[in-house]
Amino acid sequence: MLKRSYRIAAIALLTTGWSTLSLAHFPFVECRKAAVDIVCQGGFSDGSSVAGVTIDLISYDEDILASKTFDDQSTVHFTPHEGEFYILLDAGPGHTVEVDYQDVSD
Amino acid sequence: MTTRSSTRSTKRTPTRWFRWRFHLTGILILIPVVLTPFYIELMSVFGGANGLGERTIGAQQVGPWRITLAEQFEKAPSLDGPAGYMKTFNAALCQACAKEVKAVYIRLGKPRSLRTAGVIGFGSPYHMSFSMPVPENTSPTADIWLTAEGWDGAIHQAQWSLAEASPATIEFLMQQQEP
Repeated sequence: MLKRSYRIAAIALLTTGWSTLSLAHFPFVECRKAAVDIVCQGGFSDGSSVAGVTIDLISYDEDILASKTFDDQSTVHFTPHEGEFYILLDAGPGHTVEVDYQDVSD
Repeated sequence: MTTRSSTRSTKRTPTRWFRWRFHLTGILILIPVVLTPFYIELMSVFGGANGLGERTIGAQQVGPWRITLAEQFEKAPSLDGPAGYMKTFNAALCQACAKEVKAVYIRLGKPRSLRTAGVIGFGSPYHMSFSMPVPENTSPTADIWLTAEGWDGAIHQAQWSLAEASPATIEFLMQQQEP
């Protein structure tokens, strides 16, 4: 009987915790220069994967130079581009993250 | 059955503490009594019963539409794991224009395109909520850009200086950027 009430209390606490967590769900992406490629690692702040989410490499003139989707490890590889550009994770309207070429870490 | 209960009674001798432990559970009732006023106050901020937010920044004409912006709480941005610091603003459309506006976005700095217009406003047109990312290296002189997209495809923009929109965020940025 006591064990059952403990179990109910634990479930109640966990569901309360999860409901708060599910409110916050922001995308993020970090890009770095690897040996050859630019490698970007993305995700959502609640820990969920961005596999299949679109990520584009766009020039400052708004030309889409490369359009890819994240793989199962939430990573994506771009061939380096000369000139000014930004990388855009696009998980839908209002769910975007930009990484400027100056913010691509070495 | 009888054997089991008799075994249990021999195992546990009802002490004074054991009996009072039950009565002490009554104190649990005091927890909601103390916390409920705070909870109601908090919910009124989310629901809009206490206005658009803790601090109303002001209203601006955004093309043909009038939009009011408010800080949800007069607080510094809060850390949301790997996504970085987030600051919540609320906005309200005027009653006449609520039906004409499809979406409202806000971000720090001028958007490059509609695709990069920033975070989208959630909720009713009279109480939209935005959780805007605030990078730690944001300039304290930055502006908040609001982009409103109409159902007819029209795009209109307005801006507020971050200093005007959230003095608490400016204070936070100063602390973060201290050498």
